[in-house]
Amino acid sequence: MTAPAPRPVRPFLAGFRAILPLWLGVAPFAAAYAVTARAAGLSVWETQWMSLSVFAGSSQLAAAGLFGQAAAPLGIIATTAVLNVRHVLYGLSLAQRLPLGWPQRLLAAQFLTDEAYGVALNAPALSFGYLLGAELSLYAVWNLFTLLGALLGSLVPDPQALGVGIIFPLAYLGLLIPQLRAMGSDGRVAAAVVLISALLAWMLPKLLPGGLVVLLTGVLGALAGAWLSTRWVARP
Amino acid sequence: MSTLLTLLGMWAVTYAARLIGLGLGGVRLPPFWLAFLRFVPISVFVALIVPGISTSQDWPQQVLACAVGAALLWRTRALIWGILGGFAVYWLLRQIW
Repeated sequence: MTAPAPRPVRPFLAGFRAILPLWLGVAPFAAAYAVTARAAGLSVWETQWMSLSVFAGSSQLAAAGLFGQAAAPLGIIATTAVLNVRHVLYGLSLAQRLPLGWPQRLLAAQFLTDEAYGVALNAPALSFGYLLGAELSLYAVWNLFTLLGALLGSLVPDPQALGVGIIFPLAYLGLLIPQLRAMGSDGRVAAAVVLISALLAWMLPKLLPGGLVVLLTGVLGALAGAWLSTRWVARP
Repeated sequence: MSTLLTLLGMWAVTYAARLIGLGLGGVRLPPFWLAFLRFVPISVFVALIVPGISTSQDWPQQVLACAVGAALLWRTRALIWGILGGFAVYWLLRQIW
């Protein structure tokens, strides 16, 4: 039986929908970012522009705090770079599973996030449309709630008080578990990678800023996995 | 003006990090580095989960909520039930602890 070629809009909607459960966690943080940025002296337009252009949650919250302390521009940009350098790994890993042309790469790069990366890797049928749908789903909610937070200001409740921070580890668990299931015969190596990475992610925050913790743990954990699977398991 | 330039600089460094990875995607890699990239999601998601919990004040509640969430995720394979179930447990624990 030959199935008809899927229309391009369907994968887009599937990707868009896959992110919806995460809106619950992302929306309060977008609003909290906007309130912090306004309190730091940024205008509504500057606050919104950061969400439209930079579009990277943890670094936007960090930058809002730094603007509030009147930090040097180069310091703010360097902090952003450190917090976001982990995206190099996401792009490398994603591009191995999804061949993209240059116009697609240039577009997909603008909207890449932790969440879109994870959801795309777990997609039943990964395509450029699915990736873009997942990416723009998060872009929509992040920018919508940035605007609401910037306009409503002090009416926005503190995410800490709402306890919605727990949604992020839960969401990342939801992205991790299907990856573990997909490991098949490499399951024992994958379990070792989880243990090594957990140990690193527990120790490193005492020594390093957050963005580097994700990057270093990601690199060292995956190196351990590659070493174990190619030296031990794959040997005849 | 300085604020706008700072924002443009933030955009430039973030976009560059995202594009470098995607841009190098077509490169052919030896088996070791292909295995490396296969394990990146696992180590990255662990790195996104652990520090948020281990540095929080109420980590015992968070660990329990994540255990319930993980069990639900494993059984249902649906992101929404893991998030809602784990969040419900966390919220209940906050009321009684």
